[in-house]
Amino acid sequence: MSEIRWTRAPFLFGIFVVLLVAAYFLRETGGAGWMPGCFFRKVTGFECPGCGMTRGTHALLNGRWVEAFWFNPVGMILLPIAFLGFGIELLAWVRGKSVFRGLHFGRWGSLILLGVMVIWWVGRNVF
Amino acid sequence: MSWYYSKNGQQQGPVSEQVLRAKFSSGEISRTDLVWKEGMSDWKPYSSVTELSMGGGSLVGSIEGNVMLPQPPQAGLGARLPMISPHIPSYLWQSIIATLFCCMPFGIVAIVYAAKVDSLLAVQDYLGAQSASDSAKIWVGVSVGIALLIYIPIIIVWMIGLSHLIH
Repeated sequence: MSEIRWTRAPFLFGIFVVLLVAAYFLRETGGAGWMPGCFFRKVTGFECPGCGMTRGTHALLNGRWVEAFWFNPVGMILLPIAFLGFGIELLAWVRGKSVFRGLHFGRWGSLILLGVMVIWWVGRNVF
Repeated sequence: MSWYYSKNGQQQGPVSEQVLRAKFSSGEISRTDLVWKEGMSDWKPYSSVTELSMGGGSLVGSIEGNVMLPQPPQAGLGARLPMISPHIPSYLWQSIIATLFCCMPFGIVAIVYAAKVDSLLAVQDYLGAQSASDSAKIWVGVSVGIALLIYIPIIIVWMIGLSHLIH
């Protein structure tokens, strides 16, 4: 009984175009000159959990898969998962349905995720 | 507003909200039976319709939000566990994106609360899960908000720089 909300569909297209343009510029420039860089690292000198994502995505878009992964292994695995969650909710929103389950990792899954993120963040600054 | 409900695969109604509530109280309609009224995009289980689950005729909550408050076990229904859990967002993917993109440790706080949502959902503590969900949302907001405050000026400067290229 749900139907596509046509007033919402343009947002889907808009987000797609923005991501595409950003990906194009990132592939060509590597973010130099327009990506602001990590504020946390500039101020504290420590890396944040997301440091390396720009360099990693740049490498990925230029086909250097292995190099891309090692810039931020945790982020490279989690970002596609996060985008999946985003996609599920975006599609449901456009279709006018409420998300019944969305992206849940379950009790242990989310605790493991939390542990990995904290160990990654501390570890990369210590070692 | 007239409600329709589904019993044993048969569509019933229309009935008023009072009658529908009475049928639920008497056990004629269970938490998992589907109900619908005009304006809802789809049939939903009785327990996930906010305005029915919140006791006492309150029409404040939105139906789309379908946040359910736990009901005390109905005497007539025995200790019946809800078959369908309500949708309480954990903001997990939002927390991940905030952690990776915002350069702020606050994203990790959001992940802590996101994990708490799933832990509490597992033990069917829906009130606790809702409160953890709200906290996760706030910390995602703090994280994104601070990042925007810092980066929007940088992006504006960059765009002004671009406009020189056009001339």
